[in-house]
Amino acid sequence: MKTLVKLEISRTLRNKKFVFFSVLYPVLLYVLIAGGASEDELVKGTKLTLPLLMMVSMASFGAITAVLVGNSEKIAKEREKGWVRQLRLTALPGRGYVASKVASASVVSLPSILAVFAVAAGLKHVRFDAAWQWFALTGAIWAGSIVFAALGVAIGYLATGDAVRPITFIIYFALSMLGGLWMPTTTFPQWLQDIAAWTPTHAYAALGQAIEVGDAPHLKDVSLLVAYLVLFAGGAAWLYRKDTRKA
Amino acid sequence: MTTTASVNTGDGRRTGAPVVSFENVSKNYGSVRAVSDLSIDLFPGETVALLGPNGAGKSSTLDLLLGLRNPDAGRVQVFGTSPSQAIAQGKVGAMLQSGGLMEDVKVRELVKLACDLHPRAFPVDQVLAAADLTDIADRMVNKLSGGQEQRVRFALATAGANDLIVLDEPTTGMDVSARQAFWAVMREQTRQGRAVLFATHYLEEADAIADRVIVLRQGRVLADGSAAEIKAKAGGRRIVFDLDQPVGEAALRELPFLSSLEISGRTVRIQSQDADATVHAVYGLGLYPRNLEVAGLGLEQAFLAINDAATAEEAAR
Repeated sequence: MKTLVKLEISRTLRNKKFVFFSVLYPVLLYVLIAGGASEDELVKGTKLTLPLLMMVSMASFGAITAVLVGNSEKIAKEREKGWVRQLRLTALPGRGYVASKVASASVVSLPSILAVFAVAAGLKHVRFDAAWQWFALTGAIWAGSIVFAALGVAIGYLATGDAVRPITFIIYFALSMLGGLWMPTTTFPQWLQDIAAWTPTHAYAALGQAIEVGDAPHLKDVSLLVAYLVLFAGGAAWLYRKDTRKA
Repeated sequence: MTTTASVNTGDGRRTGAPVVSFENVSKNYGSVRAVSDLSIDLFPGETVALLGPNGAGKSSTLDLLLGLRNPDAGRVQVFGTSPSQAIAQGKVGAMLQSGGLMEDVKVRELVKLACDLHPRAFPVDQVLAAADLTDIADRMVNKLSGGQEQRVRFALATAGANDLIVLDEPTTGMDVSARQAFWAVMREQTRQGRAVLFATHYLEEADAIADRVIVLRQGRVLADGSAAEIKAKAGGRRIVFDLDQPVGEAALRELPFLSSLEISGRTVRIQSQDADATVHAVYGLGLYPRNLEVAGLGLEQAFLAINDAATAEEAAR
């Protein structure tokens, strides 16, 4: 199983185009959205400036892009080519497959998080009161992205090769919007805010926002994310073992 | 974990617990019946060929055996347990026709992965050498030719000490010498007491390699026996001779044990259930056959004959 994890990581890194664009994409979006924003005016309903708020949003968004889209497409294709079928004829347990996919996705999401941070700090002079906040943010966003890597594996198992892209993007955009990764959810009507509060993306963004204002992440958000992780990873492992429908 | 070293005694008596056992197994895809009430037992040390036209249910049978699909009815057991359990214990190695390979990795990396995942693995270099991959071990998997890819699949199937090796049309895409090398390696595996089950559409392969041939048709067993038995079932032997002068067909029709007769000019071709008796009767007619040849039917002819007989039988019903 360790060999598979290592091999998945090294082949992901070999795909230089994928790595490059996964890192570039959230940085570009950050510059577009926050580039012209004021550095000291607070966003309505928050205690944060737009460049700071968008830094966490875009780092989270970029991390999700790298793990969710990358995983679901790769897996749907691997299933179609029959590699997964071949892998099922080995003693590899379902969790080994999911773990290797999650690990390989995570090595791409980390640089994309760091790139957004670097641009925010350099270009928009985003600063924190304490240095621990930078490390805590990196850790929280990185760890949180594991939930979406597992979701990517599950989608890759449910969708066929030609349907996987639209399905992934619908889920991905819906979750990003509802979770407030593109704009603060405070602008939503109340009923939508109530729904949004239970999405994994909302809990994910809330992790970062709590750290931004100097708090520890809320227990509710952490437990919500853990629950989603168990659901997605368990579902993905189950689908891997039960994939008897199509070659 | 050792399986009792029991072997096919060669005369049809088999010892030891079955390696694979299908009990009244059926599998449908929608309204299509792929496997129909199939019951087969395979024994240690046997090399079994699964023969049949396309759509006969060969691949479905192998999928059921490997737990890649679940039967709609009946039970499949491998080493007395479920297929997935047997695979997890490292007892089964398989090479699939549809098995894709991981991309963006080197041959050696992929083979090493298979070795690391196998509970009773062989050293990587040994597996590479056995599959004749040593020279291309550093090549990327997605840059290989069809035959090379097939050898990688073979390496994945033989990464450890399996007691059963399952191969689905393994030599497709290989040239003649690669095919011979492949079967030489396979024979070495059976000598060590492993059972080998392979699906093929190369009849000469089944004839030369397998000590048991199972002919499938529409998901059922049409014939099950040694290649020689199958050939015998299909109408025995072929007799060919020339005659000095033409002889009336009616006289030749009277020959005993005839299953088919064909006269073209002075050449007579006969298929007979008992070649000795038929030839004796030819002399008995006062004929003097020249260039007499008596040979066994090729498995191909036997296969066609059995298939035709089954079709005729169905049509009669």
